[in-house]
Amino acid sequence: MGEPLIDIRDLIVALPPGADRAHAVDGVSLTINPNEILCIVGESGSGKSLTAHAVMGLLPRGVTASGGQILFGGADLLRLPPSGIRKLRGRDIAMIFQDPMAALNPVVTIGRQITEQIRAHRAIPEKEALELAGGLLAEMGLADPKALLKSFPHQLSGGQRQRVMIAMALSLSPKLLIADEPTTALDVTTQAQILKLIKRIQTERAMSVLFITHDFGVVADMADRVAVMRHGRVVEEGAAAEVLGNPKHSYTRALIAAVPRGESALQPVAQDKPLLTVTELSKHFRRGGFFSGSAAVTAVDRVSLTLSRGETLGIVGESGSGKSTLARCVIRLLDPDAGEILFDGADIARMTPGALRPLRRRIQMVFQDPFSSLNPRQTVGEIVIAGPRAYGEDMKEARERAADILRLVGLNPETMNRFPHEFSGGQRQRIGLARALMLKPDILIADEPVSALDVTVQAQVLKLLDDVRQQMNLAMLFITHDMRVAAQVCHRVMVMRHGQVVESGPTGTVFAAPSSDYTRALLAAIPGRGKLAPV
Amino acid sequence: MRNFLRVFLSRPIPLVGLVIFAVVVALALLAPLLFARGPFTIVGMPLLPPGAPGLLVGSDVLGRDMAVGLAYGARISLLVGITSTLGAVGIGVLLGAVAGYYGGWLDDLLMRVTEFFQIIPSFVLLMVLVAFMQPSLSSTVIGIALITWPQVARVVRGEFLSLRGREFVQAARTLGMGDARIIFTQVLPNALPPIIVVGSMMVGSAILTESALSFLGLGDPNLLSWGSMIGGSRSAMWVAWWTTVLPGLAIMITVLALNFIGDGLNDALNPRRRR
Repeated sequence: MGEPLIDIRDLIVALPPGADRAHAVDGVSLTINPNEILCIVGESGSGKSLTAHAVMGLLPRGVTASGGQILFGGADLLRLPPSGIRKLRGRDIAMIFQDPMAALNPVVTIGRQITEQIRAHRAIPEKEALELAGGLLAEMGLADPKALLKSFPHQLSGGQRQRVMIAMALSLSPKLLIADEPTTALDVTTQAQILKLIKRIQTERAMSVLFITHDFGVVADMADRVAVMRHGRVVEEGAAAEVLGNPKHSYTRALIAAVPRGESALQPVAQDKPLLTVTELSKHFRRGGFFSGSAAVTAVDRVSLTLSRGETLGIVGESGSGKSTLARCVIRLLDPDAGEILFDGADIARMTPGALRPLRRRIQMVFQDPFSSLNPRQTVGEIVIAGPRAYGEDMKEARERAADILRLVGLNPETMNRFPHEFSGGQRQRIGLARALMLKPDILIADEPVSALDVTVQAQVLKLLDDVRQQMNLAMLFITHDMRVAAQVCHRVMVMRHGQVVESGPTGTVFAAPSSDYTRALLAAIPGRGKLAPV
Repeated sequence: MRNFLRVFLSRPIPLVGLVIFAVVVALALLAPLLFARGPFTIVGMPLLPPGAPGLLVGSDVLGRDMAVGLAYGARISLLVGITSTLGAVGIGVLLGAVAGYYGGWLDDLLMRVTEFFQIIPSFVLLMVLVAFMQPSLSSTVIGIALITWPQVARVVRGEFLSLRGREFVQAARTLGMGDARIIFTQVLPNALPPIIVVGSMMVGSAILTESALSFLGLGDPNLLSWGSMIGGSRSAMWVAWWTTVLPGLAIMITVLALNFIGDGLNDALNPRRRR
C-alpha cells in the first residue's frame, strides 16, 4: 500500500467549557491511503464531522484541536499557519457539504463561483477558467453546461447543485475529497446518482475520498474501508467487507442491525368497514404573484384511499410528491379543493371549523421535526395536557392520564416539569406521540416521524409506533420518503409522484413485484440493498 | 430564567443602565417624601447658581428649587414614558397578532392602517392630537401611544407570521384548540422577547417626545416635567446654564439608561447569542 495520504494520529478536539463533554474527538487515529474511499460512520454526536473538519482546518469557533497530529505530505496540518492551510484547501484537499444550497452563494452565477475558486489558486484568464468549469460540469453528467454556468443556484435542483459542488471541489484536482453527508438532504433516487458519480470520479481520478455518513446502507455501497465512531472514539476499523460481514464490536453490530432492510414482514389486515375513505381528493396551490402572474400548482391530484382500524397505510414518495399535503388535507390543516373525506360516515372535507372541532380529537398527528413541533416555552406536562384541556377535561384528571401516557411511550412521568430543549430528538418524538395519544384518537397520522432521528433511535421509535397501534387499535397513516422504513411498519403502501398515486397495494406485493417503473427505480435506489446481511 | 439573568447581568453596559434607571425611579418615588413642599414653591432669589446656601443645584427663573423640580419632573417623565408605552404595546400586539396570525385580506387591511400612521409626520400628528384633546397628562399619554404603536405592530406581525407556520402551532390546531387560545398560549409567549426589547427602547423615546411637547408648551400646565423646565428657562439659557442643562442631562441619562437596558435585553433574550 505504501505511504498513507493522510495520517491522523491521536487527534483530540476539545469542546468549549460548559459543553456536555470535554472532548468531541478523543484520541482518534486513522489513515487514508491513496486511491481509496474511507467511510467514517456514526450517529450524531459521534465526532465524525469534527474529525473531517479538523483535517480541513475548519473547526467552528470555540472548538480547537488540542492534541495529536494530522500528517499530510510530511507537514502537520494542525501546526500549519493559516496561510499554509489556505494554500492546501481547495488545491490538495477539497470538501463538499450536506446542504448544497447553503454552501453556494445565492447571488453569484455558478460559472463565477467555479472560476473564482480556480483563479484563487492558478493565474489563468477568466475565459480559460470558464472553459475548464464547463468541462467539469459535463464530467459531472450535467446537461447543457454552457447554460448552467450562467444560472444562479436557486434555478437548479438539489441534485444539480450537489453536482456543481462536486465540480467545484474537483476543479483543482485535489488529492483528497472530503464529503460530509453529501446526500442526506437529497431524494433517494438523486442520492443513488450522486453516490454513483462520486464512486466513478474516485476511480477515474484515482483520488482518495473521506466519506462521512450515518447510513450503513451508503457505507455498503461506497466504502473500501470503514471506521465506526462513537462518543469521539473509533470503536472499529477495517476493510468494508470485513466490518459489514463480520462486525467485531457490539456497537457496530447494533448499528448494522438497526438499518431497515427494505423487506416487508407485515401481512395486510382484513379489510372490514374502512374508518376513513378518501375519494378523488385534490389540492392546488397558487404560486407567483405581482410580476410573474399566478399559476396554480396541483399538489394533490385526485387521490383516493381507504384506511381501516388496526392497519398502517404507508404513503411513500420523494419531495414534492404531495404526500405531506395529502396528510395535511386529511387532518384539515389545509382545506382540500375537491373530493371527499369520509370519516366514520361524515364528510369532513368541507366541514366548517365549528362542526369539525368535536371530530378533531379523533384524528391526531405526529410531526416530522422534533425541534419545532413542541412549544419551547411550555413544559412537557403543559404540552401533553393542552389537548384535553382544550376540550374541557379536568386538570387533575388530565395530569394523571398524562403520567400513564408518558409511561406508555417510554418516558418517566417526572419529565412533566421539564422543558423540551432538555430532551434528545427521539425523546421529543415520544413527547409528540404522547400529546397525540392523550386525545384517544382513532386515526394517527405520522408525517416522517423518524427522518430526523439517528438510525438506532429510529428503530426504537418505529417499534413504539407499531406497539401503540396494536395496543390502541389505531388506524395509522404513515408518511415517509424512505422505502426501507415503510417496509418495516406498513401493511399497505401507496407510492406517490407529482401529486398522483403511482401504485398501491400490500407492502409485500409492492416490494416483491412492483408494477410501475417509478417504484422499481425507488427500490433500486435504496442504498446498500442486498449488500447488508439479513438480521 | 436564571440563564437570562446571568447573561443580562454579566455585561457592564446593561448593568450600568439598570443602576441609573433604578436611581431615577427611586428619586421619582421618593420626591414627595424628600421635598414635601412641592416643585412650585418659591424658595429664594431667581437664578441662584448651584451650591448657593440650601440649593444643591441652584434655582430657576422664578426662584424655585431646581433639585425639587428635577425630582418631580422624573415622576412625570417616567409616568408618561411607561404608560404610553404600555398603551402602544397593547394596541400593537393586538393588531400585529391578528394580522400576522390570520394573514390574507385582514393582514392587508391592518397593515394599510398601520402604514397610514407611519407615513404621517408623527410629531405633527401628535401636536394636532394633543391640541385637539386639550393639553393634559392623559392627552399626552394617549397621543404618544397613538403615534408609536405601529412599530410594535410590525414587529409582532413579523414574529407571528414566522411562528404560525411552525409545527407546534399546527399541532395545537390538530388538538382542537381555538384561535384565541392558540394566539395567547402558544404563539404570544414565543414572540415576547422582541416585544420586550422594543418596549424598553420605546419608553426612552416616549420620554423624549413628552419633553419636546412640554418644551413647546403642549404639556399639562399644572405639572412640572423635565421638558417644561427647559421650555420655561430658555430665556435664561445664556445667563444661567444650569436651568436648561440639568433637565437636559436628566433626560439624556435616563433615555441612555433605557437604551442600555434594551440592548442588554436584546442580547439576553436572543437564543442565538446566549452562550
